[in-house]
Amino acid sequence: MDEYIFEAEFADELEALADFEDDYPENTSYCKSKKALNFETPKSKNSHAKENGIKSKENDFNDSLLEPLVSPECIPNGSLLRSKGDKSNKRCRVEEFEDFSGDSEDEDISCSKIDTEPEIEPLSKRQRLHDLTPQKPLSVSKSSSGKKQQEKDTEDDNVFDPEFLKATAIADDIIKRRNQTKTFTKSTEIVSEISNVKRLLSVRPSGNFFNVTNTNGNRFYVKIKDEDKFEREIQDVCRNKRITGLLSVPYSVLKHQVEQERQNKIIEEARKITDEINREIDNDLGLDFDNVPETLTEPQKYLWVEKYAPRRYTELLSEEAINRTLLHWIKLWDHVVFGKELPSKHVKDKKKQKEVKKWKKLPELTDELDKFNRPLYKVVLLCGPPGLGKTTLAQIVASHAGYNVVEMNASDDRSAEVFKNKVEAATQMKSVIEADPRPNCLVIDEIDGAPQPAINILLNLIKRTDVPLLGKKKKEEGDVLLRPIICICNDQYVTSLRQLRQLALILSFPQTESTRLASRLYEVIRHEHIKGDMNALLALCERTDNDIRSCLNTLQFVRQNRKELTVQSIQGMSIGQKDAHRSLFATWYEIFTMPRAKQNRFMNVRDMSESDKKKTVNSTTPGVRFQNILMVAQAAGEYDKIRQGLFENYLEAKSKDPHLLALNLANEWIGFTDLIQKYTNHSQDYSVMKYVPFLPVTFHLLYASYNPPRIQYPHTQFEIKTKETKSINLIESMMADMLPSVRRFVNQPAMVMDVIPPLLDIMQPSLRPVNTQLYSQREKDEMSNLIRIMIAYNMTYRQEKQEDGQYNYTIEPKIDEIVKFPGMKQHRQLTYAAKQLIAREIDLEKMRRYEARFTAIDSSEKTSGVTSRHITGEKNNDNTSSGPSVPNHLQTLQAKPLQDKRAVNFFSNFTRIKREVRPEKLQEEREEKKSEILATDIWFHFKEGFSNAVRRNVKIQDLL
Amino acid sequence: MSLWVDKHRPSQLHKLDYHKQQAANLKKLIASGDLPHLLVYGPSGAGKKTRITCILRELYGAGAEKLRIEQSHFTTPSNKKIEISTIASNYHIEVNPSDVGNNDRIVIQELIKNLAQVNQLDSSSQKEFKVVVLTEVDRLTKDAQHGLRRTMEKYMATCRLILCCNSTSKVIPAIRSRCLGVRVAAPSEEEIAQILQNVCKKEGCTLPAELAKRIANKSNRNLRRALLMCEACKVQQYPFSADQTISEPDWEIYLRDTATMIVQQQSPKRLLEVRARLYELLTHCIPADVIIKGLLQELLANCDGQLKTEVVQAAAYYDHRLQIGQKAIYHLEAFVAKFMAIYKQFLDEGMADFF
Repeated sequence: MDEYIFEAEFADELEALADFEDDYPENTSYCKSKKALNFETPKSKNSHAKENGIKSKENDFNDSLLEPLVSPECIPNGSLLRSKGDKSNKRCRVEEFEDFSGDSEDEDISCSKIDTEPEIEPLSKRQRLHDLTPQKPLSVSKSSSGKKQQEKDTEDDNVFDPEFLKATAIADDIIKRRNQTKTFTKSTEIVSEISNVKRLLSVRPSGNFFNVTNTNGNRFYVKIKDEDKFEREIQDVCRNKRITGLLSVPYSVLKHQVEQERQNKIIEEARKITDEINREIDNDLGLDFDNVPETLTEPQKYLWVEKYAPRRYTELLSEEAINRTLLHWIKLWDHVVFGKELPSKHVKDKKKQKEVKKWKKLPELTDELDKFNRPLYKVVLLCGPPGLGKTTLAQIVASHAGYNVVEMNASDDRSAEVFKNKVEAATQMKSVIEADPRPNCLVIDEIDGAPQPAINILLNLIKRTDVPLLGKKKKEEGDVLLRPIICICNDQYVTSLRQLRQLALILSFPQTESTRLASRLYEVIRHEHIKGDMNALLALCERTDNDIRSCLNTLQFVRQNRKELTVQSIQGMSIGQKDAHRSLFATWYEIFTMPRAKQNRFMNVRDMSESDKKKTVNSTTPGVRFQNILMVAQAAGEYDKIRQGLFENYLEAKSKDPHLLALNLANEWIGFTDLIQKYTNHSQDYSVMKYVPFLPVTFHLLYASYNPPRIQYPHTQFEIKTKETKSINLIESMMADMLPSVRRFVNQPAMVMDVIPPLLDIMQPSLRPVNTQLYSQREKDEMSNLIRIMIAYNMTYRQEKQEDGQYNYTIEPKIDEIVKFPGMKQHRQLTYAAKQLIAREIDLEKMRRYEARFTAIDSSEKTSGVTSRHITGEKNNDNTSSGPSVPNHLQTLQAKPLQDKRAVNFFSNFTRIKREVRPEKLQEEREEKKSEILATDIWFHFKEGFSNAVRRNVKIQDLL
Repeated sequence: MSLWVDKHRPSQLHKLDYHKQQAANLKKLIASGDLPHLLVYGPSGAGKKTRITCILRELYGAGAEKLRIEQSHFTTPSNKKIEISTIASNYHIEVNPSDVGNNDRIVIQELIKNLAQVNQLDSSSQKEFKVVVLTEVDRLTKDAQHGLRRTMEKYMATCRLILCCNSTSKVIPAIRSRCLGVRVAAPSEEEIAQILQNVCKKEGCTLPAELAKRIANKSNRNLRRALLMCEACKVQQYPFSADQTISEPDWEIYLRDTATMIVQQQSPKRLLEVRARLYELLTHCIPADVIIKGLLQELLANCDGQLKTEVVQAAAYYDHRLQIGQKAIYHLEAFVAKFMAIYKQFLDEGMADFF
C-alpha cells in the first residue's frame, strides 16, 4: 500500500532515475556498487554455507547427542531441560533455525552474516569438543549430557574473561575426573561415579530409584536424582566455591552479564549491518521502501535525525526541482570522472526544454562542457536556512551518482594551509587502500564560516583552467579540478563568498512544504508508537518553521518523556524559538501584512503565557499584533534600514485614510525616530533608542493589509546620496580652480542657486557661424568676454563621444547637470562649431595668460630690487588683473648700442676687451653682456663646426 | 572676471551703493586705528563679502586685492589628513572651515594659531594685525565655535576675525558677544533696480526701467542674482524690451510645479510623486530649508485666512525638525503630508458648506 502511494508520488523521480539508468547503461559506478554487492553477498553466502555445513554436521551431532534426552524414559526431564535450558541454549537453537532458513531468504542475509563472525572463533573450540565427545560413551546419562551442554555453551560464549576461563577450567576438571572414573558399562560408570560421591544405597530409598546388581550379587539401589536438582546442586557447589572468595562477583552473575552483553552487541551489529545493507540496496536499486528499522524498547542510541534521515534519492523532502538540478549537474561530471559520453544531444534537448518549462525560476543548467569536458559551473552552492536537508541532499545525490563523499565542515580545521591540502587530497587523489574505489566528491559544509584565504584557495582551484605544458609548472600549480565540489552554506551573502557566488551554480533552498514534512513525521510517529495526529504535526512544523531537524528532535524528546503529541503540548513547548535573524524583507512583510487568524493559530508561546491560556489565541487582536510586531522589530535590529524600507513602501500600501490622518501620524513617527537617531548618533546616548522599534508597530497598525504587499528594497536613499555627492564634487571641482578674485565672493549654495543657472544663459551668446576673422568688433568683444568669463569660472568645452557615437562638446565640469531638472525646457545650445571655436580660444587664452605670468615674473626680476615689496605687489596685481600692458610679442625691438664694439676683426675685439678689463670686471661685464644678448630676440652663438649656430627664440604665441 | 556682477563690484567703502551710512561708520571705525572682531551677517546676495573686501581694502590698501589660493594641510589627532584651500593675500586669509565637515575645529585652531603667532614685520607702515575671514560660520560645528572663542581673545594682538554668516542664530552667544555685529540687509527692490540701471549705463546699454523693476522683483532681493539675470537677459535679447522674458533658474520653476502638484491633489499616490521631486531637488544641491521655504510661499498663495496661519505653523514646525534632524527628506515629506491633510480638511469643509 505504502509503496503504491509512494510510487505515485515519486513517479516523476522514478522516471528520471530510470532515464539515468537507461542513459548510462554501462555506468561503472552503478555496476561497481552492484558488483560489490554481488560479489560480496554470494561470497558471504558461500562461506556461510560452508560454515553452515560444518555447523550443521555439528548440530546433527549435537542433536544425536541430545537425542537420548528425548527418549520416552525421561521425557519430563528432557522437556524440563529444554524449557529450562538457559537462554544461550535457546539462542543457539534459534540460530540454528536461522541458519537453515537464511540460505533461502535474501532478507536474512544480514542475520546469517552476523553469525559468521562470532562463529569463526568458537569453531576451533568446538572442534576440540568434537574430539572430546566421541571418547565418551554414547549413552551418557542425562546429567552428564546436560552438563556437557552447559560446557558447550560456556565454550560457545565468545568471551575471554579470565574469570570465565577459570570457570571453564573448573568445568573441564570435572569432566576429566569423570573421565578417569568411568571404567565399565554405562551403569557401572554411573555406579562408580555415584559411589565416588557415596550415593550407593543398600536400602531401598524413597523416591525414584533403580536397582543395580553387583557381580557379587549384592543389590544396590541407585537413587535417580532429578536432573534439575542435580544441576542445582552443582550450581550450589559452584556458588559455594565462589563464596570462598575466588571471584568477587558470583559466576552466575558474571555469566549472565556476559551473555547479555554479547546479545546486545550482536543485536547492535545486526542492526548496523542491516542498515548498511539496506542503504546500499536502496541506493542501488532504489525500490523497496519499508526499511525503517524496528522500534526498540530500550533507550535510543541514535538521534532520530540520523535514524530517519533519507537514505535514498526518492525519500528526500527538499524540493524536487532542486534535487533534480543538483543530480543533473553532478551527472554532467560523468564525462570527465567516469569517461562516459553524454547521451545524444537531441534527447537531452527535449528533456531540457521540458525542464526549463517546468522550473523557470531555477538557474539554467546548460549541458555545455568546457574544454576539459567539465560542466560550466564547477561548484554548486547550496544555501538555505538550517534544517532543510542540504547536507543530506548533497550526500545522497553524490553517493547516488557513484561518488565517495568526502565531507569537510566547520568542525575541521580550515586554515588556508590545511584547507588546501584537504581539498587537493579530496579532488585529486583516490583511495587505493580502502575497499571503496569510487571517485571522490567533495562536500564542503558550512562554507560561510570559512575564512577568506581558504575560500580563495577554492576559487583558485576552480579558476585554474590551463595546464601549462611544462611539467615543472604543472607541479607547482597543481592540476585542474576534475571532481565535483558541493558547497553548503546558510547565508550566501557573506562577504567571503562573494566571488564564489559568481562562479557557482547557486541553489537556494525554499522551505519544505509543511504538509509533506508533516506526513513524513506522521510516518515516524507511527513507527515510534507516539500518539499524535496530523494537526499536531502541522502545528509543530509551523512552530519550527519547517525545520526538519528541529521537528525530529522534538518528536524524540516527546517520545522520551512518553508524552502524547497534541497541539497544546506543542504550543506549550519552548521549541523552535530560534532567535532567527529574519531578513529585512521578512520583517517588512510582516509589518505590512495583517495576520490571519488561521495562519497564526500556532502563535508565540510568549503571548500564550502572558495572556490567558484558555482563551483561544486570536492573533488579530490589536494587542497581540502590537506585541508581535514589536518583537519582530526588536529582533530584526537595523532600525535605520527598516525605517527606510517603511518609508519607501508605506505609500504603496493600501489603507482607508480619507483625511490623511494616518499619513500624518506615520510621518510624525518617522520624523520623531529620525530625531532620536540623530541624538543617539551625536551624543552616543542610547537611552532613548528603545522608542525606535515602536515605529514599525505604528506602521503595522496603520498600514497592515490582507493583500500581500509588494515590497521593494530601499535603495533610493543610497542612490540619492551618491547623486548628491556627485553634484557636490562637481561644484567643488569647479570652484577649486576658479580665479580667487571670483571665488571669494561665492559659496557653494550660492553657486548652485544663483550663479550657475544664469551663467549658463550668459554663456550662450549668438555667434555667427563664420570665421572669427569676419566678426565685427562687437562680436569680437563678446567673444573675448565670454572666454574671460569661462576662464574665470573654470569652465571649458570638451569634446566627448556620445552614446550614439557622435562627438559633441560638453561643458567641463558638467555643471549643467546640476542645474537642469527633468521635464524642464531645454536651454539653448551653441552649435558644435561655436563650441569648438570657444574651446580653442579658451585654450589659447590660457596659454597666453600662463606666458604672461612668466614674462611678468621675468620683468619683475629684471627691475632692480630697490623698489619696495609693496610696489612690486601692486604692479603684479595690475599685471594679473588687466593682463600684461605690453605683450612680449608687441614689444618693439630697439637697436643695441654697439658703438664700442666696432672692431673689424671679431676675434681681435675679444682680445682687446680682455686686455683692457680687469678679471673681476670682465666677469661682470661678460654676464651683463650675456644677459643683454639673451634678452634680445635674435642672437647667435658661435659654435665651431656646427651648422645650427644661429638660434632664435620662438614663442608659442608666435606660432598660434 | 568679466561678468557684470564681478566687474562692477565696488571695491571701496565709499563706492558702495546702499547702506551708505553703515559704510561711513565702518570707514570711521577703521580710521580710528583699531578694529574689533566683526560678525557680518545678512541674507545671501546682500553684499556681505563685498563689504568685507572693502573693509580689507580700506585697512591695507590695494595690496589686499592680490590674492592667491593656498592649500593648507592639517592632521587630526586621529591621524587623519585633511586639506582645505584658502584664499590669502599678504594681509589676510579667507577660509571656509565648514568645507571639511566635522573636522572644522582643527582647521580653525591650527590655522588661526599659525597665522596669529607671527607678527606683522613692518608694523610701522601697516596695521599690526592680520585679518582672518571665516565664511559660513553658521555651518560650523559647536566644537569649532567653542574652539574659536578662546582663540579670539588670546590672539587679539596680532589677529582680527571677520566672521561671515547668513544667520546669527546658529552662532553661539559667546562668539556673538565678542564681535561687533554688522548686519547687511538685502537691498530693496528700488535699490536693485537703480544698481541695474547704473551697471547697464557703464556697459553702454540702455535698460528700460520697467524691465529693471521686473528683474529686481524676480531676484528676490538678491543683488547677485539680479545682476546675473540682467546679464543673461542681455545675452538673450539686445536691445532690451520692457516685457522680455526673464529666465528663471530651473530649480525655482521645478519647486513651483511641485507646490502646484500638492495643491491639485492630496493622496498618498501624489505624495509619492512629490517625494520623487523632492529627491530630485535635494540631489541638485538645493538646501532643504530653501525647499521648505519655497514650497511654503507657493502653497500660501492657495490658502486664505485661518488656513494660512495653520500652514505657516506647520512649516515652522517641520523646518525646526529639519534643522535638528538628520535626513531632510523625512521632514520635507512630513510637511507635505501635513499640508495635504490640512488642505484636504479645508476643502472637505468647504464642500460641506457648499451643499
